[in-house]
Amino acid sequence: MPNLASVCILRTDGTNCDEELAFAFSLAGAKPDYVHVNQLRSGEKKLSDYQILGIPGGFSYGDDVASGKILAVELLSFLKQQISSFVAAKKPVIGICNGFQVLVRTGLLPLSRLGDMHATLTNNDSGHFECRWIELTPTSNHCIFTKGMEGTKLSLPIAHGEGKFHADNDTFKKIKEQNLTTLQYTANSKLTQAYPQNPNGSLYAIAGLCDPSGLIFGMMPHPERFVTPYQHPNWRRQMIDKPHGLPIFENAVNYAKTL
Amino acid sequence: MTVKPRTTSERVIQELRVLSNGLDPRAEDVLSEIKSTLGIGGVISLKMVRVYRLQGITETEVKNLADNLLSEALSNHYVINRQILNDADKKTEVSYRPGVMNPEAASILKAAKDLGIGSLEAVDSSWEYHFYGTPSDKDIDAILDRLLRNKTVEIVLKESPKTLTIKGKSPASKSVPILELSDSELEQLSKDGQFFLNLEEMKVIQEYYRSIKREPTDVELETLAQTWSEHCGHKTFKAKLIVDGKEKTPLIKRLMQATKKYDENVISAFVDNAGVMRLSDGWGFSGKVETHNSPSAIEPYGGAATGSGGVFRDIIGTGQGAKVIVSTDMFCFAPPDLSDGELPPGCLHPRYLLRRVVAGVRDYGNRMGIPTNNGSIHFHEDFKAKPSVIVGAYGLIPEERAQKGVPKKGDLIIAMGGRTGRDGIHGATFSSGEMTADTISVNSSAVQIGNAIEEKRTTDAILAARDAGLIRAITDCGAGGFSSAVGEMGEEAGVLINLEKAPLKYPGLAPWEIWISESQERMVVAIDPKDEREFFAICGKLNVEASVIGSFTGKKNLTVMYENDVVCDLPMSFLHDGLPQRVMQASWKQPSFAKAKMPVISDWEETYQRVMGDYNVCSKEPIVRLYDHGVQGTSNLPPFTGVDSDAPNNSSVVTPFLDKHIGAVVGHGLNPVLNKIDPYWGSVWAATEALSNVVAVGADYRKLGLIDNFIWPFPDEDSLGALDMSLDACIAVSDTFKIPFVSGKDSLSSTYRYPDETVLKIPPVLCVSAFGPIEDARKTVSSDFKSHDSVLALIGKLDVGALGGSIFVETKAYGGRLPKVDLEGLPALFQALHAGITSGDILACHDISEGGMAATLAEMSFGGGVGVDISLDSFGDVHPEEVLFSETAGCFIVELASESVAAKHFAGVPCAIIGTTTKDQSISVSQGGKNIFSVASQHLKSAWQQPMKEIFH
Repeated sequence: MPNLASVCILRTDGTNCDEELAFAFSLAGAKPDYVHVNQLRSGEKKLSDYQILGIPGGFSYGDDVASGKILAVELLSFLKQQISSFVAAKKPVIGICNGFQVLVRTGLLPLSRLGDMHATLTNNDSGHFECRWIELTPTSNHCIFTKGMEGTKLSLPIAHGEGKFHADNDTFKKIKEQNLTTLQYTANSKLTQAYPQNPNGSLYAIAGLCDPSGLIFGMMPHPERFVTPYQHPNWRRQMIDKPHGLPIFENAVNYAKTL
Repeated sequence: MTVKPRTTSERVIQELRVLSNGLDPRAEDVLSEIKSTLGIGGVISLKMVRVYRLQGITETEVKNLADNLLSEALSNHYVINRQILNDADKKTEVSYRPGVMNPEAASILKAAKDLGIGSLEAVDSSWEYHFYGTPSDKDIDAILDRLLRNKTVEIVLKESPKTLTIKGKSPASKSVPILELSDSELEQLSKDGQFFLNLEEMKVIQEYYRSIKREPTDVELETLAQTWSEHCGHKTFKAKLIVDGKEKTPLIKRLMQATKKYDENVISAFVDNAGVMRLSDGWGFSGKVETHNSPSAIEPYGGAATGSGGVFRDIIGTGQGAKVIVSTDMFCFAPPDLSDGELPPGCLHPRYLLRRVVAGVRDYGNRMGIPTNNGSIHFHEDFKAKPSVIVGAYGLIPEERAQKGVPKKGDLIIAMGGRTGRDGIHGATFSSGEMTADTISVNSSAVQIGNAIEEKRTTDAILAARDAGLIRAITDCGAGGFSSAVGEMGEEAGVLINLEKAPLKYPGLAPWEIWISESQERMVVAIDPKDEREFFAICGKLNVEASVIGSFTGKKNLTVMYENDVVCDLPMSFLHDGLPQRVMQASWKQPSFAKAKMPVISDWEETYQRVMGDYNVCSKEPIVRLYDHGVQGTSNLPPFTGVDSDAPNNSSVVTPFLDKHIGAVVGHGLNPVLNKIDPYWGSVWAATEALSNVVAVGADYRKLGLIDNFIWPFPDEDSLGALDMSLDACIAVSDTFKIPFVSGKDSLSSTYRYPDETVLKIPPVLCVSAFGPIEDARKTVSSDFKSHDSVLALIGKLDVGALGGSIFVETKAYGGRLPKVDLEGLPALFQALHAGITSGDILACHDISEGGMAATLAEMSFGGGVGVDISLDSFGDVHPEEVLFSETAGCFIVELASESVAAKHFAGVPCAIIGTTTKDQSISVSQGGKNIFSVASQHLKSAWQQPMKEIFH
């Protein structure tokens, strides 16, 4: 029996998409482990014991002040060293929804500068939380999570109130130059700014991004909610060969095997 | 509390103001409400400033907090200790009242500590609104009252507070002299103390204290008032009933007797916080549905949020703890376009109520990570005095942990989760009273603010402790607070409480306040002392506060100490059995409603659009999209499916085990208008609708459990007569299908008294919820048509021409015969549907309810992107509207690949082939070979989607 890649599913107060994320990783052939941030702070568990870090969705600390902010402050205050080493060891990191917000607020996304924030995810243009399935197109060729998926049309759910990606011009320039935009909201495969296909008004229809190494990845939609065919709202209407969220996790696990 | 001595400069409250750099969607949303809802044109633009007040830190530390926590340069900018905007034409600031818990404060304190700013001792946040344009002071008041502030929990801040910490010394417990009081003085005491006990009950208490020759303490009186309140004691449901002069079995007994007969799939019923049915593979499926009408009427956001929080805790606090997997919400309001003049004094406008109640349910469920995937909203003018806010929750529990726990002598009593404050004092007794113009100002302390994250981490700890086998018994702190939770848990085992050990939000609470406070997010657990260390280790790891507040004594008393004083010593027997059984008279008189005029149809498209656009029929999608219905990854049949994912389904199916196909289904039914016309047949309708909704997706009705919620006017003779009939209807349904009610709740205070003493009875609501297992969730159907050229069949006995109380004749008018459900024929029909759906032969199924077959067909066609061509010939010589708009529950439209499928599955039940689906996307109806009308589906869809789009934009 080969050693399965072990995944740190990071939890804290208000985390709530941890179980489905763990399930997605186990379907993809990895061994997920729930790790509370307190366990990393106390030294009971070590981030270095894992090959993949997954920060799930939810409302960490109630999303008080700003979504993912309090957890980002906690990670920067106590786990900066552990996270730096993890990233330096070229181990993949994925943040979904609230996890994406945390990655952006720690500065890991989009430019992999821990402690230095260059972008933000802010209130949806609609002014409210939104839960619906939308169309997405992977557009990057160097993010390890979406490898081989470029140009395909994905159907995944979003469920958030603060998903509008925004950055200063300089950062947007870097995002473009380094091809960091990984996932975009589309309508019939064309980029869209129209509500609700672009559910939050995100600039350049950005739904997900990676860092320059392609190893740190964050996205607002929930790939872990579409890893079996019967999770799709219209599975009764259409044949689903392969659930659209699963390859993202399989890619990560396959990459981790090369570590 | 000890306050460290400080220098003066440190004690100052520092003010930080944060403003968005660009357009702020929240401000834009408020602005659009000001313009569209309030019709105030004078406000041209609006800016919102977040204000943080920070106590105990220096200005340098404030800057540090601003840079690292409270502000982000990309989105906003800040100033310290000065105004950020000086050019507004009008300005106002809204903050929480002192003592109301601001959930954000705890997070800011934590993050400040993480950043090394440990000296921050208190923090508060509020909003400043800066108005530009020419609004008058009156406009600003209207904006405040209708949109920005709820007076019960928020204030307009005129000047900065001097301190953010609440100080105070707990007053001692007092004895209350009652031994010598006259009858009228007893009544006055009950009124002044907000006990809501009647004279007879007060006299029983007086007699008891005379017999033990002492005066009661305030804590004792409060304990009795809580336990004996209608809310907790269900006095009407337990009462000896005299119906039309003849004695009948008490209501609760009738229900329980029926449950006993049909308990094959029941794991636990009526003894715990929720009922538990068998699911599969050693797992139980628990359900509880609650009402939070009174709190929601005066503070809709907090009332609805804590309603959800409370019903989640009921699930969590069942057996030895369950995981919540589904949340539901059913609301009744007055129409959102009610004119201001129609609004009774002291009541909030239905449009405001609707938006705020939805926001409350949204924020609590989403933050807890519980999918809210089933619900409905009903509108009727008579809800203008008080809405019905019904919230349900369903859980997953291992069968071996599903029985109500029994504490043993010596077990520790532990309070865990949130701290205790003054919020929610007298919630239980307040809920039991009728509403008046003063309710909103007098009862503000009965309203609570929720903190979903507190409840989430507490749940995480409970499930971990359950799986480690540490929980002997558990219950939640709901109505009546500790007094009810502990009093009930210790009914057999006896209790000794040390009240000073309960952690408080702030000092100064009197013992009785601690004892009956309804502060949210608190659970009480019984733990074997040997497990104490392990239990506290779990709580510590998950940031959950827990404290031992007492133990089970094995004596038959409820003894409460505060420091060294005994503040309550009541025998359990008197507390639980001392309440005299009420004798109540019931007699329902058939109301005479004016016979409604049948609408004359001059234009079919117009009539059809009117019905589809009625508030009671229209699409609620904009609301459902505010709820996370996909969290947990378990959604198998979501609320909306179809080509454009905008066609509603009958009920929701989740697959709680991600690696299995075991399904759990939840649905419900209610119809306040029919209940008002005829309590019996209206209730049969509600229960049938609940069952139909789950059967329509493929459930086997024989495995289902039912939950009743009676939201009724004050039980005078007439209303109690109606309640008796409604309950008989429930029993008839239970007997017909041989399935049990396993949980329920009655809320008998749907009465409003105008200042001139005129009484408005709010329509009686029986909400029935149905829930149960689905053996294989892959064998279920949605409501959207799957193809054109399919055969359409009507299954069930449609009560043709029964248009009383229908949308077609307008819900305000009651005249005419209401639809009677063919109960006897339904078991066979439900069985046939189940077999048909499981076999895969039925492509789509949707039941008939509000709006009749016309609405059913339209919704199915919206989902399928196809049209419909039907003939009414199988109904004989009738007016088309008598068929199309009859709202007979227990009837279904099914989509079949061919007519032979109908013969195969529906040979023994009422079944009529009525037409086909068509490629052409219009709905065509013919009779006797003649086309009556053809209407484009798109026209109907626009009318159907418009009303809620206008309110939830």
